[in-house]
Amino acid sequence: MSVPALSTDALVAGYERDLPIVRGIDFSVGIGELVVVLGPNGAGKSTLVKAIAGLVTIHSGAIRLGDRDITSAPAHEKVHQGLAFVPQTENIFTTLTVHENLLVAANILAKETRSRRISELYALFPDLAARPSLKAGQLSGGQRQMLAVARALIVAPSVLILDEPSAGLSPKVAADVFRTLKSINETGVTIILVEQNVKAALAIAHRGVILVDGKRRHEGPAATLAGDPIVAELYLGAHRAPPAVGA
Amino acid sequence: MSVELVSYGAFFLTIALTYAIMCLGLNVQWGQTGLFNVGVAGFVAIGAYVSAILTTPATESHLGGYGMPIVIGWLGGALAAALISFLIGALTIRLRADYLAIATFGVAVVVQLCALNLEPVTGGPFGIGFIPRPFAGLAGSPLAFSLLNLGVLIAVVAAVYLSLERLVRSPWGRVLRAIREDETAAFALGKNAVRFRLQAFAIGGGVMGLAGAVHAHFIGFVAPDNYVPILTFQVWAMLIVGGSGNNRGAILGAVLVWGVWTASAAAISVLFPPEQQARAAALQIVMVGLALCAVLLLRPRGLLGEVRVVSRYLDPSARRFPAQEIATDARKP
Amino acid sequence: MIAQAIMDGLIAGAMIGLGAIGITLTYSILRFANFAHGELLSWGAYIALALSDGLGYLSASLMLPVGPFSFGWSLPLAAILAVALTGTLALLADALLFGRLRAKGGTIIIMVMASFGAALTLRSLLEFLFSTKPAYYSKALQIALPLGGEMRATPDQLLTLGLAAVLVIAIHLLLTRSATGRSMRAVSENQQLAGIVGIDVRRIIRIVWLLGAGLACVAGIMAGLVVQIRPHMGHDLLLPLFAAAILGGIGSVPGAMLAGLIVGLSEAIAVQVIGAEWRAAVAFVILVAVLLTRPQGLLGRAA
Repeated sequence: MSVPALSTDALVAGYERDLPIVRGIDFSVGIGELVVVLGPNGAGKSTLVKAIAGLVTIHSGAIRLGDRDITSAPAHEKVHQGLAFVPQTENIFTTLTVHENLLVAANILAKETRSRRISELYALFPDLAARPSLKAGQLSGGQRQMLAVARALIVAPSVLILDEPSAGLSPKVAADVFRTLKSINETGVTIILVEQNVKAALAIAHRGVILVDGKRRHEGPAATLAGDPIVAELYLGAHRAPPAVGA
Repeated sequence: MSVELVSYGAFFLTIALTYAIMCLGLNVQWGQTGLFNVGVAGFVAIGAYVSAILTTPATESHLGGYGMPIVIGWLGGALAAALISFLIGALTIRLRADYLAIATFGVAVVVQLCALNLEPVTGGPFGIGFIPRPFAGLAGSPLAFSLLNLGVLIAVVAAVYLSLERLVRSPWGRVLRAIREDETAAFALGKNAVRFRLQAFAIGGGVMGLAGAVHAHFIGFVAPDNYVPILTFQVWAMLIVGGSGNNRGAILGAVLVWGVWTASAAAISVLFPPEQQARAAALQIVMVGLALCAVLLLRPRGLLGEVRVVSRYLDPSARRFPAQEIATDARKP
Repeated sequence: MIAQAIMDGLIAGAMIGLGAIGITLTYSILRFANFAHGELLSWGAYIALALSDGLGYLSASLMLPVGPFSFGWSLPLAAILAVALTGTLALLADALLFGRLRAKGGTIIIMVMASFGAALTLRSLLEFLFSTKPAYYSKALQIALPLGGEMRATPDQLLTLGLAAVLVIAIHLLLTRSATGRSMRAVSENQQLAGIVGIDVRRIIRIVWLLGAGLACVAGIMAGLVVQIRPHMGHDLLLPLFAAAILGGIGSVPGAMLAGLIVGLSEAIAVQVIGAEWRAAVAFVILVAVLLTRPQGLLGRAA
């Protein structure tokens, strides 16, 4: 088997040493794969991806990007290595213009490629191209999310991680976001997606991983997970009656 | 000889205890509430001047000379400082945490300026003298005089200490600490955090004013030079050495730091020729500044540390859980 | 009279503005009010004094006044070195004190307190090294030139104004046009996100210290040139600096300069109207007025 795009090895992470939230997760994503991370509230999904991105203290275990160990690299260096992260909230600079948001991210590229890369992204996101000098704080929710994704793609990452990109969006706009992610994935970018919107996420994903209590509980191909009763059960808690469907 | 030694000791302790009162006032603001006051000297000066104006005998040289009883002067000084604290707090407590610090710094500058320039009120650069001292009739017998004065101060410190301890342990004090440790928790309790902070800031300022008044009546005069930034700094050093949040520590810190301060000042006057003494005094402040920074880095809770009164009422480990984890736990059967 | 007060106010305001830019930059990136900023002004002035005297010792011709100015080439040369050294001093303070507290997760107020301790240490160290006696860059006397109307200013004062204007424009362009400036604005809005988009936040923090300290050094040298050099000069300017930074709006460079001029002019006018002894109260009155009516400042965004 080839080297995965990204993998974690017995990862333990959290905000306080005596209270790890991610409690030993082995997790790996193949090159070109779109994996969705699912789980009930507090399962540690968000903490897992933040730890991978370098925002949460890692107590033990390892993270590898391709065959490189990036466990202890600070957040800004992980970007240089090809790992891009889109947080759930506050994921754009509201006091900078749309164009400045892209410029700030493009700063780590070689000087001569910066403007070409930004025009490529404007071509991909015509909504942003239409308003480059608008302050990002004045964008709509969907546009903000698109800007955040565009900003992350600037560096042409090998792995793109998104924390609940559909949160707070109307179903129609969320569908747009998922469509965009699917097409980005089809260009060869590996994507890890944390989502509450189980159905929509599984619809575009190759594979789903379910976390409970900071551990990996279950996983499988997206197509089979969608109808898997275990998913519904894990979501609603073991003490509830299992036959609930469509969680 | 030994009589002199005892009366010097009593005098030293008397002055140290006036600093202890300042330190207790600062502890209400910083230790209990987390409000940063960089203008301690200003609030102390307000108390000192107000009390001096109220109690000195009639005079032409400055406002006042009302010749009132000392106790009235002390209360007046405390009230005036509390009022100014209240106004400054009302202006800044809602804003960024350090705006209060900047504003209190401004208060100290302006009070110093008023003391210097409002000659008809404050006596200008020469200040106000002839401030009545308690038991002045006994001045002929130094031992009795200094011991009685020390007794008065011990009584004042004890009174302030006991009332503050009662306050800390009252529901009011518990809310105050909860606010300091975790603002969201405080709001969840349904209390108005700004109002509580403001009250604490005014009480602390009032205690500082009282300290200034008491201090003025023992040294017998007030002058602008008594209330320079180094005073603020000394009181901070005392509180930090004693451990912020801890009232007994505040008193102990005041006595300790004042002891080190007077001892090193004495050493400087012995060891250095007169023309070098100003420089040596500057070096003394450098040392205290470095020590303060070192304590912040190495022992941020002070040498004695904080008495965790609140922990009995609010389980701190429960509050430290991220909200998500609590949600998960609640779901467990 | 009033015309001259305006001239004096502009000169003082230019110095206050430069200092306030440093405060506003460090505040918006490091997120605390740095009470030691005033000491950077004093240290800058004294470092330049020591270097300038040293250069003059090496070659007396460097002390000969340049053109209409009161100082020789030793001062501009010393100033360049002093800017670098003051920047180094700020980086040192960050490495020894502020950076460590940041790494420990120190709260804003712990940082403010540490800066208060650092201020006292730095100020007293200057007193120890140079004594409290005022010092001057040059003993040469200057005659104030008539500027039309009733305004007069010495060549040194005019140079100060011109240099301040050039520096403000340069800093403004740096922040709005350059990649480093964009990164600085990004860090000031959201440090965590800045890291995620690939900005090395520690590098930006170092740049901000260097910029802030460099500007403080220039302001200190200016104050030393047109007034005098004393260990307390920075401390005495601290309240006007804070007032200007808050009046201008934290994070706004044009705001800090504009507010610096307002504070300087108000002080000069108050000196004429009320008396010189009340100068120091003007900044406090402005501060209280801003906090009462518009806490976010003239050009700032809501806090």
